[in-house]
Amino acid sequence: MDPSIIEFIGEKSMISIIPNFSNEPLHLIYGSVGPFRAGFPVYVPLWLATHLRKQQKCRIVPPEWMDLETLEEIKEEEKRSKFFTKMPSEHYMVVAQLVMSTAPDDVPRCEELRTIIKDIFDIRESKLRTSIDAFIKGEGTYAKLDNLTLLEIHSVRPILPYSLDHIARYQRIATASQRDTSMLGLSTTGGGGVSGSGSGSATVTGSMSNSFFTQ
Amino acid sequence: MSDSENLEQALNEHDLSTEAALADVNEDDDEDEDAEPITAQKVLDILETAWTNEMCAPELLQHQTDMLELMLSQVAHMEEQMKDLDKNDFRFVVHQMELERIRYIMASYLRCRLQKIEAFTQHIINQDETRDAADKRLSSEEAKYAQDFAQHVDEYFTKVATRYMPNQQRGEAEQRIVAPNLMSHVFLKANVAVSGVIVGVDDEEVDLTPGSQHIIPYQLVADLVQKNQAQLI
Amino acid sequence: MSRSNQMFGDNAFDLLKDLKRSAQTIPAFDDDGVRQVLEEIKAIFEENVAQASSYNNSGDRSLWPLLNYRHAALQRNKRCLLAYLYERMQRIKAMRWEFGPIIPSDIKQALCDPEVQFFNNYSKSLASYMRSVGDGQGIDLTGNLRPPKSLYIEVRCVENYGKFELDDGEVVHLKKNSQHYLPRAQVEPLVRQGILQHIA
Repeated sequence: MDPSIIEFIGEKSMISIIPNFSNEPLHLIYGSVGPFRAGFPVYVPLWLATHLRKQQKCRIVPPEWMDLETLEEIKEEEKRSKFFTKMPSEHYMVVAQLVMSTAPDDVPRCEELRTIIKDIFDIRESKLRTSIDAFIKGEGTYAKLDNLTLLEIHSVRPILPYSLDHIARYQRIATASQRDTSMLGLSTTGGGGVSGSGSGSATVTGSMSNSFFTQ
Repeated sequence: MSDSENLEQALNEHDLSTEAALADVNEDDDEDEDAEPITAQKVLDILETAWTNEMCAPELLQHQTDMLELMLSQVAHMEEQMKDLDKNDFRFVVHQMELERIRYIMASYLRCRLQKIEAFTQHIINQDETRDAADKRLSSEEAKYAQDFAQHVDEYFTKVATRYMPNQQRGEAEQRIVAPNLMSHVFLKANVAVSGVIVGVDDEEVDLTPGSQHIIPYQLVADLVQKNQAQLI
Repeated sequence: MSRSNQMFGDNAFDLLKDLKRSAQTIPAFDDDGVRQVLEEIKAIFEENVAQASSYNNSGDRSLWPLLNYRHAALQRNKRCLLAYLYERMQRIKAMRWEFGPIIPSDIKQALCDPEVQFFNNYSKSLASYMRSVGDGQGIDLTGNLRPPKSLYIEVRCVENYGKFELDDGEVVHLKKNSQHYLPRAQVEPLVRQGILQHIA
């Protein structure tokens, strides 16, 4: 999955804005938003919030958790805990990144927040790497990943599923080639050899069939 | 502003007609006679889930022709309603933005399916032949596309190479059929509580709690995804 | 097959190396290379058929490894050749998504006739599929390639393109190095063709 898709999905998160215009509610397909009243907060999807902000039509109200004290606590707990703690938003990185880049003026102590959010992400990423290492060495094929956010899952997607798939594939090939060797003595029965069907990833399987007898 | 009011009204009315259309769809389905009509929002929801599932699943999932048709007409209807509006109208821009997002989801979803159809053409065709009409993975348009594609590829390979190859036994073309690796690992999120899910080759069992996340070979949870008890992420 | 320095399968492997070297384009179809591989396949096969019958008659087990070896070489040749064609096919398909239903003339020269035919067939069935989606409502899958960020994007003109009419009738002049703020959906095709460059 492309990172831009992760962002696209994260942009559905609802966020509070304070519009400087008034308007009746909008009946969008995914649900209604508004009414908009100048000076009064209203919840809208993030993609709409960033658009309106770029058009100077609103101020963005940072979510409650985008607060130094709250994040400091989260960071400490993340350090203390062996497991992944629950983040205040399923898309905390996407939300933080978009809000802070679109509306830095709406976010008090923006730079400090940026640093601490990055810290939290880094702590979690390094925890993730350690557990992946243990997981793969333990030859597991199943693991629980509670409280990981979509972006974090995505960050290991290029490594984790593929290396597990490869390990599984080698194991199947090892089993298959054992079978293959043991079948060599019997192959005059014309059984068509061992094909790779069902094994491995999507590859064209070329079987070692004894076709020169079946002319 | 009267234009926009008309627009809003028209859009609301269309919500109702979408519900009516969905009620029709449900009537055809014996099992769901009492099913509640779905809103456009719900249709979009179903499509979004189908889209992410499709992106993450190694195999082709069941088609969503009904949902897709409803959403396409909803989008077309909105475009029609918006045609006469001032392009700078606040409402126009917002609706337009949402339509862009929906169009992207639909296009990306269908592209993803075409990629799988092209990669596993013969495998998918063969599998669908064994399925009942209601369980087919390919929509009728996709089925035609798959057949055409298989034929074009076959024609190309025959003309350039295979007809010059000696000893093309019956088995060889079959060995060239490419199938997805159903044991490839996927990320899963449980939508509801599911007990006794087998998670390993040694029959180890786990109970999934709603919202819990897992990495697991696809095949072990394919039925949960199909029944919408879990989704791929 | 008595060339001294050459192994079975070398020609077939060369085909693939050629493709790998030019990963961004479609190199000219290697007519000679393909023919040589096909000849090698045929030659190996004939040698094996001859010896297999003598193996069957005499039961001489000493021929067994040789038969196996030749068979493996034959399979490898087939596999490399088919992989070569398959990879070219992938690139030809990608071209349909990138450039639309007409093959750019410089690329067309690199294709053999069956490949051109494949492109045209592929192009036609893709178009008719896109028209048929949603009970004939149709959807263009070659657009909306990336998640929408904004309705408008900022672009720079890479070459002189001339007049470009927007859906609302407004005409913009796309001159080399000029910058514009245009509706994303309408200029996406030009961006893909490299006429406009998206500036972040």
